[in-house]
Order: sequence, then structure tokens, then C-alpha cells
Amino acid sequence: MKKIILWLFGLDEAALADPATLAGVIASFVMIAAVLVMFAVLLAKKRLRIHRWGNKVWQRTKLLIQSGFFILTNSFMVGWFKGTIYQGKLKFMCVPGMNCYSCPGAWGACPIGAMQAIFDEFDAKKSWFDPVSGTYVQAPLYWIAFYVIGILMIIGALCGRLVCGLLCPFGWVQDLIYKIPVKKLKLPREPRLIEKTKNPRATRFLLGLDKYARLLKYAFLIVMAVFLPLMVKANPWFCKYICPSGMLLGGIPLMSMNAGLAAAAGKLTLQKILILAFIVILSLFIYRPFCRYICPLGAIYSFFNKFSLYKYGIDDSKCNRCKGCSACANSCPMGVDPVKDPNSPECIRCGTCNAKCPQKAIHAGFRTKTPEGSAIRTRKSK
Amino acid sequence: MKTESKLMRYLVPSVLILIGAGFIVYGATDGEAAAVIKKAIAICMECIGLG
Ligand code: SF4
Ligand code: SF4
Repeated sequence: MKKIILWLFGLDEAALADPATLAGVIASFVMIAAVLVMFAVLLAKKRLRIHRWGNKVWQRTKLLIQSGFFILTNSFMVGWFKGTIYQGKLKFMCVPGMNCYSCPGAWGACPIGAMQAIFDEFDAKKSWFDPVSGTYVQAPLYWIAFYVIGILMIIGALCGRLVCGLLCPFGWVQDLIYKIPVKKLKLPREPRLIEKTKNPRATRFLLGLDKYARLLKYAFLIVMAVFLPLMVKANPWFCKYICPSGMLLGGIPLMSMNAGLAAAAGKLTLQKILILAFIVILSLFIYRPFCRYICPLGAIYSFFNKFSLYKYGIDDSKCNRCKGCSACANSCPMGVDPVKDPNSPECIRCGTCNAKCPQKAIHAGFRTKTPEGSAIRTRKSK
Repeated sequence: MKTESKLMRYLVPSVLILIGAGFIVYGATDGEAAAVIKKAIAICMECIGLG
């Protein structure tokens, strides 16, 4: 038993003599057990049946799931206690969300970081002409990160962006910041409501800007997480120059506990802190700006929303949109109209529309029919 | 009303899952998982803004 624990934690026998390490191991077990009990209680109380409970209860349940999953995947307490990171064998596994592998508590690897690590490997036997430096350099060893793509394909095909809604730590952080009560920048979607705003032209302009700015995340994926890491070695570009999740979950905790690392802080540290601060401030007013405009992982999962087993769907026999209700579209924090496109690439499957629909016409899950037997439409409406 | 056939509803994701599993096995045996763990068990200086 002791051997298994030591293997699991990536520690040797001598390490347990240190009281902080021992306390960390015990604390990890306690936290994981507490979260598992919490999940069991939520399941037993059927709290995952979103529309049965209404939005208030669902939002609380959602927060519990997000916090629980964060604790589960970041409960290597030895790291939190000692300002180090987990170095055991489990770290070859990728977690589903943007969770920096340099977070002191992280048990697994961030998929975007892992992808760049694979692209960073070079072939010692082959050299090729590097268009960036204009010289011959060693060629990349892997042109396609099969391992990470495979993991993301399985997660995406199972649940699509449900990962964003419920499992990603950086999404959770942005949700928490958005809860701070300041005036929010929320744009209406329906033409009737747009015309009612103080300045309909400005509203339409902002809506257009938001729509096109969302394409930026695909550019970040292609350029910063794939193209540049492949072409210019020793540089995980997205991690190095942009990722605020790495700074928040890895940089800040490690530097605050480790004087050596703090002493090495420089220009790049400042740049990344400024990016993080900018995202944090933006998150006060706009719902999940990082997920909307920047996240390369969200960009990958967005392709799977239409092809996943877990899907959103509409029971058209119940939806009375014709009466102008649209509670779903008006409540969607991501600005999606689920009746028009229940599996839009922008939908993070947060469940808000589902919980708010007074007709209980929105369904989330694996079925093709409602329990009453009506068809669930998962495709766009005409 | 456009509804997906049951076959398409479940077949496409199942095929994707199978292809994904194949990719994982291929990538892991080709040394990609080793590259991931090598990077992940050391503090990533670039990620934390030092590198
Ligand atoms: S878009 Fe990215 S940061 Fe946002 S929740 Fe999804 S994976 Fe996380
Ligand atoms: S459409 Fe519904 S589940 Fe999707 S992001 Fe909007 S409120 Fe959340």
C-alpha cells in the first residue's frame, strides 16, 4: 500500500520524513475523498437534472461541480505546501481543461501545453531549411501531435464544450470574477430588443465586433499553439507569451512560495501579469472573454459540439418561441440562441438556458427523444 | 423539422472515439507521451512567465 502511494505521489520513502510532505499526502487524500462524497451527494439528489431545479439551484450546483473538479485535478497538496510541482507518473495524462502543468497541485498535463511540448521535439538526424531564421536547423520530430489530438477527440466526442462549462479551471475563475456585482456589458440579440437600446447602431456594431472577434481563438490555435511551436524550437509560444492560466495557476503560486523563482522574474513575467490583469478586468464586465476570443482549447472543442454524444436539443412541440418568450436566448451568457442552433460552437453547455426555459423545452444529454416521446431536435432550425 | 437519425447521432461520435483511441495508442508508442511527461514534470519556465 505504502509503495503504491509513493508511486502515485512520485515520492521516495525518505521524502515522507518531512512533515510538510506527509501532511500534503494526507491532505490530498482528504480533499479527494471530500470531493467524491460531494459528487455522490449531488448524484443521489439528482441535482444534475437541470430543469427540475430551476436556475438558482443549477447555478449553485454548477459552481460546486466546477470547484470540485478543480480540487480533484489540483489536489497534489505537497506541491501547494512546499512550492513545488507533481513529478509522478500520472503526469503523462492530459486533463480536459486549461490547467497549467506547473500549477503546484496539478496531477495532469494541460492539453495545449502538452501539444506544444510534442511539437518542440526535434529530429536529431534530420535538418531542414527554417524559413523563420533563414538557416538550416534540426527538423521537428512530430508534425502531428497524435497523442494529444486523440485525447481531445475522445473528450470532444463525448461531451464537446461541456468541458468549458463545467470542468475547466480557467473558465471557473472567469465565472467567479463575473459574479462580482458591477454593471455588465450584455448585448441583446433579438432585433426587437436591439432597437429598444439607447443606441441601436452602436449595439449592432458591438455585436458585429463580438461575432468576428470570436474567430480570433482559431487564429491563436493555428498560429500560437501549432505553427510557431513547430517552426521555432524551444518556444511553447502560447504558453510563453499569452496563457494567463499558466500565470494564475502556475506562476503566481510558485513565485509566491519560492524565493528563487521570484528572483528570476523579469520583463516576460510583467507581460504575462499584465495579460492576466487585463483578462481579469475584462471578465468583470464581459462573460468569459478568454473563452470567447482567445482560448485555443475552446476552439478545438468547439468543432465537436455538433458531433458529440452529449448534446443540447430542443423539443419543438413545447418551445413556444412564437409567443416571443426567448428566455433561453436572453439568458445565455455566451450570446447563443439555443433554439436556432442548440449545438452552436460557441455554446459552452453551461445549462443556464436549460434551467431558465419556462416550457422545459431544452434538453441536454444523450437521448433522441424526450421521456414523453417527442423528438429532440439537435440541428439548427430552418 | 430537421432531426438527426439515431444512427448518425451515435455513430459519428463513436467513430471519433475509436479514431481518438487509435491516435492515443499510436502517439504514445511513438514517444509522444514521453515528450509530454518530460515537459510536465519540470517547472515550465515559459508557462510561469520566467522563460
Ligand atoms: S474556452 Fe478554454 S479557458 Fe474557456 S472554459 Fe473552455 S478550455 Fe477553459
Ligand atoms: S446556449 Fe445554453 S448551455 Fe449554451 S452557453 Fe448559452 S446558456 Fe449555456
